[in-house]
Parts: sequence; structure tokens; C-alpha cells
Amino acid sequence: MNDTTRQFRDFFVSLKLTVVLLALSLILVFAATLDQVNLGIWAVQEKYFRSLFVLWHVGDIPIPVFPGGYLIGGLLLINLIAAHIYRFKFTWKKMGIQLAHAGLILLLIGELLTGLWQEDYQMRLVEGETKNYSESYRRDEFVLIDTTDPKFDEVVAIPVELLAKGGEIQHPKLPFRVVVKRYYPNAVLQLRAQNPSAPESLADKGVGPRLVTVPVQMTYKENERNWSTAFVELVGTEGSIGTWLVTAQLPTSQTFSYAGRTWRLGIRPERTYKPFSLQLLKVTHDVYLGTDIPKNFSSRVRLTTPDGREDREVLIYMNNPLRYAGLTFYQYQMDSEHATSVLQVVRNPSWLIPYISSGLITLGLLYQFVFHLAGFITRRRAA
Amino acid sequence: MRFRLLVLPLVALVFLPACRDAKITSYRVPHEMPEPMPPVLSGGVAPTTNASADMATMANTAVPTAAGDGLGWTAPAHWKTKPQSAMRKGSYAIAGDDGAEADMAVTAFPGDVGGDLANVNRWRGQIELPPINEAELGRTSQHLDFNGLHCTFVDFANPDSANPQRILGAIVPFEGATWFFKMMGPDALVAREKTAFLQFLQTVRPRASQP
Repeated sequence: MNDTTRQFRDFFVSLKLTVVLLALSLILVFAATLDQVNLGIWAVQEKYFRSLFVLWHVGDIPIPVFPGGYLIGGLLLINLIAAHIYRFKFTWKKMGIQLAHAGLILLLIGELLTGLWQEDYQMRLVEGETKNYSESYRRDEFVLIDTTDPKFDEVVAIPVELLAKGGEIQHPKLPFRVVVKRYYPNAVLQLRAQNPSAPESLADKGVGPRLVTVPVQMTYKENERNWSTAFVELVGTEGSIGTWLVTAQLPTSQTFSYAGRTWRLGIRPERTYKPFSLQLLKVTHDVYLGTDIPKNFSSRVRLTTPDGREDREVLIYMNNPLRYAGLTFYQYQMDSEHATSVLQVVRNPSWLIPYISSGLITLGLLYQFVFHLAGFITRRRAA
Repeated sequence: MRFRLLVLPLVALVFLPACRDAKITSYRVPHEMPEPMPPVLSGGVAPTTNASADMATMANTAVPTAAGDGLGWTAPAHWKTKPQSAMRKGSYAIAGDDGAEADMAVTAFPGDVGGDLANVNRWRGQIELPPINEAELGRTSQHLDFNGLHCTFVDFANPDSANPQRILGAIVPFEGATWFFKMMGPDALVAREKTAFLQFLQTVRPRASQP
């Protein structure tokens, strides 16, 4: 091993690095907690913890100002594993410490995998309604749907992040190009009739010309959402087909015909389709007698698969979610007046890791304590 | 060697999150009927303030009211309450002589909606006045403070026009949103209502602090 490699190794094995990283993570957690007032929990997680660097934007230029959660966590992980391999020697006396560290390593890996794999969606159902898809809370998609076939819809879903990049979008399933004329991550609409002096709309087809688009700042509050809005021009082989205003505030029911096929377009919350359906049979909202204090929310749903293997009723209520096909359906919101229930749909393949790692840490500390206690008692007896 | 084998996959693991990317997907699903457009947009109903109640989803985007957020106020007795509309948090008609009528609107949107100057110039455009710059806005606007709120107040008229109009406007930032209080109508009627408008502003307060 040459000197450079040794220095490199010593750096990663160093206990000083552990202390520095732990101190940095303390500062990161502190700053993120303060910033949560401005950004809300979701944006704080993305900005501080699920990033390599905390970025400040000076104009359009992002400047890294502090290491983010992934960088600190990743270096901590390397530091721990390197220390395990080079510094710790396996002895029965130190086995507890080894176990506790292994638990810690697993915890860090678990958080990384959760950040990468966890999907958090919702399914909004009105009594009697059946759905086989869930919708994202925050991500939107621009959809172009060929509705010519009376039985099936051919959907091309384009994440709005691609609209935000501007330029042109082509896809083999689309007989035209999508040219993004303007994109707003958040905008509200006004009726043109109520604001006649507003500048002319970029849209010349659909409902766009009757509306005024007012771009507004993005919101990061938990109880608010951003309304992705765009002006898109569709260009076929013979030239422009037209420009439409598409926004998450309106249903995806603007239609047009092109080359003998009928299309509809719009922006909607990003969907993920499931190989099964849920039908909401009944919502129940119990309150404590004589008060408005909620006692119980529950949704009775019918779970069916197209092949008929599953056809059963399930009652979902607080702390009693439905677990099926790697997904967990929690009772999330309820509007019993409108017979509507919202289920939170979570996929987290690494959900067991925190439990296993906590078990390992507990076991390691317990072993270490008992080992030392036994040694102490033995020495005392001998004396 | 042992060390290199260790470091490379771990570094790769650290940089893995950067690999997430948005992708276009295409798929076939059973035919689905989308929600219809609000009638006010599909052409079925004239875009009056009543009809725009169909755009309830759009109205709810302005400022969250469900959680009790927002501002409250007490309108003068002679202001006639108009039906609720999607875009408006409050809507009143003020009757004048010979059938003249002024319109009073309270609206709210998240963020600063382009800033005071852009909104004031939008209002000026509505009564055919030329836009002003920041310095002129500073000279022609007043700043009022009441009930813990700060407000920019403007009063514009076009007396030389064939149809003289006046706008009294107040812009009130509140909890990350901007509230607009605007009275617009015939110059003489709105000028007569200025005192009532200013007294009305004094009653505007956060709903949470209302008795």
C-alpha cells in the first residue's frame, strides 16, 4: 500500500471524521428544523436530507453551501464500514459493539433505500366508485390520451419536469411533436371576462383563450399544492395543430382530432396503475356521543383482481391498514358528508430494515452490558 | 486492494440518488370518461360571477380557507352582498344615483401575484390609465396599518374619459398570500364611497382573531 492510499484509508477510518460528520449532521438537523417553518416538512426533507448538498440559489445558479443528508449519511456509512473492517478486531469481548455498529450501518442503508424506493400516493374514492390507480400528492404529469377506441385509452404520460425543461418532446406513440411554449410550476386562473385587459393568451385552442393565467410563487405548505400549468403547441407533419393551455386545475377533458384519431389532453396528478381494483363500499365517521370529536374513521372496500383470484371485503381504519401486493393502504382523510374517503398508498420495500437494525443495536448493547456485568461479578467473586 | 473494493461500491451508493430521472411512459387502460369542464368554460353558461361557482376547484386554489385561514371583515350596511363567486372571497354591489352601480371585490391568491406595481398597473389598465413606475407608485399610494395588517392603498380615476371611472384598491399581504380589496365603478359614486371604503378596511382582520 503506497502513502497516498494509506492516507486515503486513514481518512475514512478516522474517528475524527466520525465526530465531524456527527457534528455536521447536528447542524443540518438544526437548520432544517428552523427552515421547516418556511418550507414545510416535505420540502425540508428534499432540500436538506435527500440531497448531496444544501443549495442556495443566487439568481438561477445553485450554490452548494452545506453538505446534504445523502453526503453526510453516505460518508458516515463509508466511515463506519471502513472502521469495521480496519479498526475493529473480532473478539467475543467486543462482539456487542460490532453488532451495535452493524445495526447502525443497516439503519443508514435503510434510510437511503427508503429515500430511493418509497412511493407515497393517495387514492380518493367516492362511495360506489372503483379505481385501479393511485395518484401522487405532489408530482403532476402531462397526458395525451388517444380515445379513438371506445374500449381502451392509449395514454402517453409525460412528467411535468420534462415540460419544465422546455423545448420539444417526441414519442413513438405520438403522431405529433409537443412544443412547450411556457411552463409555470404554480399558477392560478382567472376568467378573461373578469379581467378583460389581461394580455392575450398564448393558447388558440381549447379553453385557454377564455382564461388568464397568473403565475404565482411555489408553495411548500403541507395543506397546499402547486398547480402545474403550461402552454403546449402540438406540431404535426403539416405544421401546427394548435396551442393549448393545460393545467392541473382543470380536468383532462379538452379534446381535438388529428389524422382521423381523437385525443384528449391535460395535466393531472401522476398516476400509478395497479393490477387490482378497490371499490369503496361505505365510509363511516363516528364521533364521541354529544361531541364533534372524531372517534373512528373507517372505509369498507372491496378488493378485486381481473383474474378473479381476489374478491373480498376489507375494513380499513386507523392503525389497521390494508397490506396487499407490496402496498399499504392507510385511512388518510375522510369527508363523510360527500361520502368520500382518501387512502394513503405507500410502497416501501425497505420498511423492515429500521426494525431489524434497532433489534441489532439493542442486542449488541445488551450483549456488551451483560458481558461486562458477568466479568465484573466474576472478578468480584475471585477477590 | 481490499480497501479499493470497499470504497468504489460505497461511493456509487452515495451518488445513486442522483440517478433518478423523469421518464415518459405509455400504456393502455380501459376507456375512462374524464370529469367534464366547468360549464362556464365549456360554453354552456355565460361567464357571470354566479356561473363561475362551477370553478370551485379553481377558487380553492387561491387561499386555503378550509383550515380557517384568511381574513374577515364587516361590510357597511348599504353595500349589497352579491352571490359568492369562485374567484371572489367577498363581493358587493354599491348602488348610486340613476341606477349607477359600483362593484366591490375581495380576492386572494398565494404569493405576491407579481408584486404591488404589476397589480396596480393591471387595475390602471382596467380604467384605461397608462402604467406607472415604482417611484410614481410610491408617490401615489398610501400605506395603512390596521389590526396587525399592512396595506398599500391606491385611488385612481380617469375624470377626462367619456365614461369616468374610479378604482379604490387595497393590497394586503397575509400569511404568504395577497388579498386584494377593490372597488370600481363610476367616478362620482366611488369617490363618494371612499370614506366608507377606508372605514371598511379598518374592519379587516385575520379570521383567527375575530371575536
